Amino acid sequence: MARHEGLGRLTRLRYELDAFTLIEIIFPVFMLTLFLLLPVLSTFEAATKYRLSNLLGESYWNPWNPTGQGVRLIKGAGYTRIVVEGWNYGVILNSVINAAVVTLAASILGIIVAFVLARYEFPAKTLLRVMAIVPLLVTPFVNAYVIKKIFGPTFGTNTLSWFLHDILHLPIYIEVRNLAGVTLTQIITFYPIIYLNMFSALLNIDPNLEEQAENLGARGFKLFRTVTLPLALPGLAAGAALVFIFSLEDVGAPIIFGFRDILSYRIFAYFIGLSAGSKSPEVGALALVMLLIALTVFVGIRQYVSLRQYAMISKGGRWKPRITKPGWKGLLAIYLVVFPIVLFTMLPQLGVITLSLSERWGTSPLPQGFTLSNFAGIIHRSGVFRGIENSFTYSTLAVSIIILVSISVSYVVSRLRIPGMTALDTLATMPIAIPGLVVAYGYFFFFRGIARGTILDPLRDPAIPIILAYSMRRLPFAARSIFAGFSQVHEALDEAAMNLGATRRKVLSSILLPMLLLNIASGTLLSFVYCMGETSVSVTLGGLGGDVGTPNHRGPITMVIYDLISNPRANSIQLAAALGVILMSLQITAIVLITLVFKQSYAFIGV
Amino acid sequence: MVKLRLDNVTKRFGRTVAVSGMSVEVEHGELFTFLGPSGCGKSTTLRLIAGFELPDEGKIFFDDEDVTLKKPYERGTAMVFQNYALWPHMTVYDNIAYGLKLRKLPKNEIKRKVKEALEMVKLPGYEDRYPTQLSGGEQQRVALARALVVEPKILLLDEPLSNLDAKLRLEMREEIRRLQRELGVTTIYVTHDQEEAMSISDRIAVMNKGRLMQVGTPHEIYYKPRNIFVASFIGRSTVLQGRVLRIEEDVAEVLVGNLRLRGIVMGDEAMRPGGEAMIVIRPEFFEKEAPREPYNTIKGRVALSMFMGVFNQVRIEDGGVGLTAYLEPEDTPPLGSELTLYIPINKVYVYAASQALLPYKTGM
Repeated sequence: MARHEGLGRLTRLRYELDAFTLIEIIFPVFMLTLFLLLPVLSTFEAATKYRLSNLLGESYWNPWNPTGQGVRLIKGAGYTRIVVEGWNYGVILNSVINAAVVTLAASILGIIVAFVLARYEFPAKTLLRVMAIVPLLVTPFVNAYVIKKIFGPTFGTNTLSWFLHDILHLPIYIEVRNLAGVTLTQIITFYPIIYLNMFSALLNIDPNLEEQAENLGARGFKLFRTVTLPLALPGLAAGAALVFIFSLEDVGAPIIFGFRDILSYRIFAYFIGLSAGSKSPEVGALALVMLLIALTVFVGIRQYVSLRQYAMISKGGRWKPRITKPGWKGLLAIYLVVFPIVLFTMLPQLGVITLSLSERWGTSPLPQGFTLSNFAGIIHRSGVFRGIENSFTYSTLAVSIIILVSISVSYVVSRLRIPGMTALDTLATMPIAIPGLVVAYGYFFFFRGIARGTILDPLRDPAIPIILAYSMRRLPFAARSIFAGFSQVHEALDEAAMNLGATRRKVLSSILLPMLLLNIASGTLLSFVYCMGETSVSVTLGGLGGDVGTPNHRGPITMVIYDLISNPRANSIQLAAALGVILMSLQITAIVLITLVFKQSYAFIGV
Repeated sequence: MVKLRLDNVTKRFGRTVAVSGMSVEVEHGELFTFLGPSGCGKSTTLRLIAGFELPDEGKIFFDDEDVTLKKPYERGTAMVFQNYALWPHMTVYDNIAYGLKLRKLPKNEIKRKVKEALEMVKLPGYEDRYPTQLSGGEQQRVALARALVVEPKILLLDEPLSNLDAKLRLEMREEIRRLQRELGVTTIYVTHDQEEAMSISDRIAVMNKGRLMQVGTPHEIYYKPRNIFVASFIGRSTVLQGRVLRIEEDVAEVLVGNLRLRGIVMGDEAMRPGGEAMIVIRPEFFEKEAPREPYNTIKGRVALSMFMGVFNQVRIEDGGVGLTAYLEPEDTPPLGSELTLYIPINKVYVYAASQALLPYKTGM
């Protein structure tokens, strides 16, 4: 018998690859490298323009002598004014502490609501379920604005104080301001992410596992602590990591509450200062710090969950869930604690809707007057409508890129047996861990550096950079949904086709894509909605192409909302609210289409 | 229709060797079965032939053409998958026509061929149905039609019957055999079911741990198992371990517990008195009357009696050794009663082999 040489690595590689698969690999790698990896990594270079030891200076890092007064009680004539403002530990530490507190509080809230909805049966449960969806709807800036009107410092009395003092006749005024205001806003905004993750994690627990524990004598909180929570921990950890990152990079709350000593605000302010020609050498270093904090968090909890789980939450439902009826104490807790909590978290959205339909919300505790003219105003004010047009254009183009990249990545990762595919998969999921502000800064620094004066230069025209940044930032969400589709299709279906003579390209076009039409459709919708609501890149790069006042400005909806709120003109706040309502309507449409029409089990995580 | 040749083919997955130095030849129009326990490498062998896996070493030939580096879509094989792999978004017609469309046949010819194929698998008029509307057996037939319609060089069947219920399985088995004979297509069949393999194959390759244990006709495999693995894998044999007392020509006397058994020496390994030996006895070889050829006598108590329909299965204990035997269905000795059985010496297989080669652990 003849002896044969073993087949070399190269032969093996050549066998898996043909022109088509090669393109399917090169295209996403090229996109992700040039438009994500390099710009983000360039923050390292940008940071060298600043002496890093300065970051330990008091304004950035001040753990020992925080300024600010935390909580103050001011006694007045027959009333007490409670002012909550938190402490100021310097820019960097503030960001970390804030994100940690937000994550913790949002987790507690989210766990409670998820547990009640996943495990108990009680009258008006459907109502609570619907109510819990409302906080998922994202209305950048306006929601923070509403929260400030309700809890924060205003010209008159805020809504909460009015409610306590004028309605309940309690001798109390409450005012939440500064960092505390930011924290409160973010807790309310981001807790649904925990709720959703936890909810699906709870539904995915095999009821037998809990029944077995009960069978052995574990009950109540003991059962929850020893079996249920550990089993749900990966889902919870995934949600918590997301909340941490979102809190870290959120610019809306700091801007609205006027709190500047936080990383996100500083990076944002750099872009505002650009048009005024101001120089801020420290901003590159701050972007790097933000990136490193975000990455640390992700690496830190990787032992619980792989990156991929963050982007997609399946609704579960493989089992018949364990649902019990609570006793009277439980019922009381649900109606007196859980319902009010959820109602409380709905306030921003309710406020935005009310505001969009009202004539003004000045010094009064509630919006006043009823009008539909704000929606007409959206169309008539040219700068505002321009923003909507821009958003549609950017999002549509970004989604095309997202879908193409997602299909390529999903195909090669799920089908090719060659080394490096896991790395590509990780790369495609990575944008989740990268704060949008870092992406925005990276784009500015990197493309200003290597492509000044070209279409990639955000200062020349931010349109193309925005589209590319959108496509990278929102890639993981569509990619996960499409990847899930690919991995659900049994490979035998591909093989059966190849076996009958179909090339890989033909397999993709005649077998896989037709079968995955619904996954692709929901991925498209999902990423479109996420693009429309994108904030970080929109208000930074978007602002480089003029503001609402500029006739042909380049900013998308979210930048317009920001402009309208931060530079108030007649009715501008109400216009911003009306834009918020439009975004919410888009999101609701997407949720309904995806869950009811496409019957896809990808929950909406509302970013 | 081609001749298939595997030449010293090895396939590893990481550290596991799925297929190890396999060389085998399959003739024109032969139905050749790879049989073995799960994980023995039989499915991998099939996938190597189809081109879904690339061998680490060795070559694969269709007739004289080296196809080792050919892509699956260039090989002209057609596979029927265990789960049928019908495309759910296509009708039965589109499923079957797929391969023909790729071959750019004219439309009316495709139509004719699909119709013929459906008639061949006894599903005429099923063109417009979707796979989800079909029963398991019907899906199986469509999958078969889809593979056969392209007139493949080699038909590959990967455990095609394992998802069917027992009755359908028998029916489809005959069906596949009939079609294969009619079309004369070289066919590779993979199964873990020995009865299926026996009944359907021209030749069988018994595999274990990536290696060929024996290649032969069903008859050879059954009556002349080359090693302890094949002997114990085929049939429902009792496997006993004992010590060789003496050897005369090709007959060995072995002490198992307190029982002396004589059998014929099988296998390739040398045997010596005093050494360990394994004995394989098929339950259907026991006889109630003393046979004419030389025999062993087993005299023991009935420890277990199970009526199986076509026969009655008993476990008889003699000298601390338990043996399983099949009796006539009406022969149901009461538990604990004395029973005498005979077994010809040439039907007791003795191997100088170690326990390690057994397909599964056996109770003594």
